[in-house]
Amino acid sequence: MSATSGYFVVGTSWLHHRHPLTKLLGLGFVLLATFLLPSITLVLLVIALAGIAASAGLAARLARAMRIPAVLLASILVVNAFFYPGATDRLLELGPLAVSREGLTFGTISAGRVLVAFIASVLFLFTTLADDLLEALVARGASHRIAFVILSAVQLVPRMQLRAASILDAQQARGLAIEGSFGRRIRALVPLIGPVLLGSLIDVRERTFALEARGFGARPGRTAYRQVVDPPSDRWLRPVLVLGCIAVIVAAVTGLGRG
Amino acid sequence: MTETTTRGIAPIAALRLAGLSVRYPGQRSPSLDSVDLEVQAGELVGVSGRTGAGKSTLALAAGGFLPRVVRATVTGSAAVGGIDATSLDPRALLGHVGIVFATPANQLSASKQTVREELAFGLENLGVDRADMDGRISTVLVRLGIANLADREPLTLSGGEQQRVAIASIVVMGTSLLVLDEPTAQLDPVGAADVGALLAELARGGTAVLVVEHDPTILGQTSRMVLLESAKAVGSGEPGYVLGSRVAGLYGLPAPTLVRLAELAEMDPALAFDEAAIVANLSSHGPRLAPGAEPSLSIGAWEAARDRPVPVAQVQELAHRYPNGVEALRGVSLRFAPGEAAVILGQNGSGKTTLAKHLNGLLRPDRGDVQFDGVSTRNLRVDELSATVGFVFQNPDDQLFERTVEREVSFGPRNLGWNAATVRQLVERALDAVGLSAVGGTNPYDLDLSRRKLVSLASVLAMNPSILVLDEPTTGQDPVGTERVGAVVRGMRDAGRTVIAITHNMEFAAAHFDRVILMREGIVIADGPPSELLSAPNQALLASTGLTPPPAARIASALGLTLVPRTAAGLIEALTARR
Amino acid sequence: MDWLQICAEGQTDGCVSPIQVAYLVAVLVGAVLVVYAGRRSRDFSTATLTLIPVAIAINIAVGSIAVALRLPIYLDSIGTVLVGVLAGPWAGALTGLLSNLIWSLLPVPGGAGPVAAFFAPVAGVIGLMAGFWGSRGVFRLRAEDARVGGFLALATGIATSIVALLIVQATVGISFTFEDVDSQNRFVLLGVVIVTVGVAAAWITGRTIYRLEGMPDRARTYLVAAATISATALTFALVRLLFGPTGYFSGIDGVADDGSADSFLGGANLTGLALEDPAGLIGAAVVGIAVGVLVYLWTRRGDNARLFPVWVGGLTTGLIAATISAPIAAGVFGGVTGGGTDALVALFRTLGLNVFQSAFAQGLTSDPLDKTISYTVVFVILGALPLTMRTMYSRGESTVAD
Repeated sequence: MSATSGYFVVGTSWLHHRHPLTKLLGLGFVLLATFLLPSITLVLLVIALAGIAASAGLAARLARAMRIPAVLLASILVVNAFFYPGATDRLLELGPLAVSREGLTFGTISAGRVLVAFIASVLFLFTTLADDLLEALVARGASHRIAFVILSAVQLVPRMQLRAASILDAQQARGLAIEGSFGRRIRALVPLIGPVLLGSLIDVRERTFALEARGFGARPGRTAYRQVVDPPSDRWLRPVLVLGCIAVIVAAVTGLGRG
Repeated sequence: MTETTTRGIAPIAALRLAGLSVRYPGQRSPSLDSVDLEVQAGELVGVSGRTGAGKSTLALAAGGFLPRVVRATVTGSAAVGGIDATSLDPRALLGHVGIVFATPANQLSASKQTVREELAFGLENLGVDRADMDGRISTVLVRLGIANLADREPLTLSGGEQQRVAIASIVVMGTSLLVLDEPTAQLDPVGAADVGALLAELARGGTAVLVVEHDPTILGQTSRMVLLESAKAVGSGEPGYVLGSRVAGLYGLPAPTLVRLAELAEMDPALAFDEAAIVANLSSHGPRLAPGAEPSLSIGAWEAARDRPVPVAQVQELAHRYPNGVEALRGVSLRFAPGEAAVILGQNGSGKTTLAKHLNGLLRPDRGDVQFDGVSTRNLRVDELSATVGFVFQNPDDQLFERTVEREVSFGPRNLGWNAATVRQLVERALDAVGLSAVGGTNPYDLDLSRRKLVSLASVLAMNPSILVLDEPTTGQDPVGTERVGAVVRGMRDAGRTVIAITHNMEFAAAHFDRVILMREGIVIADGPPSELLSAPNQALLASTGLTPPPAARIASALGLTLVPRTAAGLIEALTARR
Repeated sequence: MDWLQICAEGQTDGCVSPIQVAYLVAVLVGAVLVVYAGRRSRDFSTATLTLIPVAIAINIAVGSIAVALRLPIYLDSIGTVLVGVLAGPWAGALTGLLSNLIWSLLPVPGGAGPVAAFFAPVAGVIGLMAGFWGSRGVFRLRAEDARVGGFLALATGIATSIVALLIVQATVGISFTFEDVDSQNRFVLLGVVIVTVGVAAAWITGRTIYRLEGMPDRARTYLVAAATISATALTFALVRLLFGPTGYFSGIDGVADDGSADSFLGGANLTGLALEDPAGLIGAAVVGIAVGVLVYLWTRRGDNARLFPVWVGGLTTGLIAATISAPIAAGVFGGVTGGGTDALVALFRTLGLNVFQSAFAQGLTSDPLDKTISYTVVFVILGALPLTMRTMYSRGESTVAD
């Protein structure tokens, strides 16, 4: 996973071939179902997503990616199991702490939701390039200037991190101590963050000129170089997914979605 | 139609500035004062001058950025291909002119995955039909020699490659005028030479090119250039003439070595950059004119106060491998005695910067040790070592953050815990050494890059270091600034302190340092005085590291001189004596 | 329409839990923000559009500096605040929103991965508020100008609201229970009254006392006075809240609500800490005044008075950030955030707070401090903003000092 392509995994699976907007709608559908429908759907979703991952050859990567939310999921489970307010049904006592059934239930459901959301998002990111997604959105009317901002920010992050590290070195070479009392460390913030902000503003000036020179400020009339493939199957898949989203919302609101 | 044109209806100039004056809001004096300049299609024209003379303002005006993007009061006229360059309409000049600046990475949109798409960026904004884009892009890729980079990620390219991509992104838009503001300032000699050749080739192909530069190799390729001084155009003509003592010399700018030699040999200014012609001329006639007084800059050598004992710096069997597996140093042993001025030369990746960073603890060795007077630095923190070793980083913007230059320079000594009176004295001395005493109250970021680099140098000098390490002190520096840095090096050395510099600038290395250390692939391959290392027998060794000796040394070897002169003055002396 | 009925405590069927409603509101607010920010972005200059990605990168990179300094704060909004000040609230909001989105797109260790994007509205609001406070002039360093009057009026309004709230709490009590609809109505009514009082105070003082045109030196005096008074009042209120006869400690008597032994601190009885009047009242007043004097002496020195508006801005931003992130944490993440502060969440749970309240309390302990430090850092650094940058941004000259 490089910094500029994020989670993206190079591949040719059926998931890779789907149009970015189809996948975005699919993600939206899964998220809505996760948070609006009864908790039993979580089990179905996990199974379905695992199946999708396997069929796209991404099962191993998915398993490896699970370490990212591991701490969060554990925290959700533990904090809620042991510290659920108003709990009465104690299952397990460990000294002054006790696991309650309400807490465990709530914790499991919450963690389950986060888990499904994570899996769906990460599968989306494994198979979709930000550039393609944004180009697809721009083709349908989104602002290409915002798309530029997003793509540019992604590419600039690693450079900025390197720069922050250089500044840390450079200021220490001028005698700035980064260890010591709390007060001293707080006072080191301005000499360290100052060059990041001010130095970046100088860059911003030059980059503004460079972009202007290439017509960035010009009004509408932009054409696109990058072409995103839209397979015919997606043309009917997308409306189906939209209907699915609406169905989930309706179900949640009218009565099927409780608990 | 042919008859009409031969009868003298002048073609519309690609760029025409007439009586152009520019004043920025809040500034008392104008940044450009009644400047006239014309550039025709197919011409490569240069602009040079000291810091603050108005070069960047000229570039911005030519690019149509004033007053649309940068607020300024503009009088007189500026026209690109007949179109008013002071127009407020963003589409007016689109596709007619483009500007490239000094920092390569800032010229890229940083939003595209490949060089090909990067080139397409401008075409997208122009609204060019998708079907036409590929053809135009391929043509330009080939023309600028970057076809092999077509599918690379732009931000991962080297500086020189990025500048070529930046130029290509403008050229692909079909611009008739290309303006460049110090395009080679951040590049190494190879990258700079590349860009120079590219500009010449573009001009030959019919583009009008206006380049603002200090680098004589670029200016030497222009057919005509203009010298700016205090917002006015004070000289124009061939570079060999304008950069010589009769024009640039009047304003205290040292002439480049080749130009100086051509003058002394009373050669035609058109041949001032032709090394072969100079050699031929000098070998048959010798210098015709007496050298006379050197038009030197009025910089006194700065004497560092001799009040600190300077340790012996010893590097023993140093080896360092980066986390990504690259072995940057593979066993380097060096000893620096107090009062030595040593320069480390080598290509990117030779390990020179890695070595320097071990000297003040920024990097820790995997094997081997760094010792001062026999005491290992292993357990000392970077900020603790900063009292002894002053490290001047290449990019001053990694350090500057204070409101004024004075406060900035006092940051280092304040960190070292000295009292207010001592700090004030050190700051004064440091600012004096770099010639910035007059701008003590200015915001450092309101100064241009060359002066910011001097501020950065001053801020380290104010810490009164025993050992001074300079990382690429001349990149982005103008000739006057380079001379100042040289004076500081000499002053430190004369005061018994140790100076170690890393540089690509061969003239700077030869002129101010007594010891040259050549590195390649993590080891030292040569170590000796410049007279030895830059002489003819060592040319092959030097070439293996991608470096060429400075012009004075090259000409001396070509003339068969046994003693290699370190500077142009030295060469002239030797030639005069020989006569 | 029984699906709109909010659940009572413990009830799970036939209703929607308050948390879900709060979450829905947050989502809607977020969606509205995004759409509006997107619309406004059509007018952003190229300079602004170049600044935003750089600011986003700054947000992500500055975190590593905070880690290197081993500070207990994230400082992940420095870039957002910068954009808010230089380019306005909507540019700031966009920066925050996109920062969060992009953070979730990058496999940065320590994040929650893609699900971090749920907190995007919080980041957006931070940018919005930074722009708001920027245009109120809180970041101006040296120039004394009449716009400080606007800030002071706002501060007076906020302070008045807080004082009114505390008075109401101390006399008639402002809490409500889920079963008693009357108590809920009274809550809403009292809330409206308090807000109205605050707005009136702000408007009146803004029109009369704080107009300050042509009296630049008075601005500084007013700032010193405002800082002193607010410090005194806050300290007094805080002490009363904790140690007063009906304060917090009076409720910790070792016995839980249902009569069994309380688990907090092993069933300790802390009612002794609830001091009786008049000794308690005098004690609180003394402490308040002592703190006030210290603040007065400090703000009089040099330019320190200028930090007061900055801190008010930072604190209010932090409070609102905590308020918005609590329902998200509670509704989406089961009340935690996956960070080190989750231990605090556990602590608050044992103190009897429910899922939403403990998430909110956790936010309250970290966000205001984090945002106040962020504001202060940006304020100091912007003091060194060069002239060339100020001319690029139309707001640069009015929001940052000369």
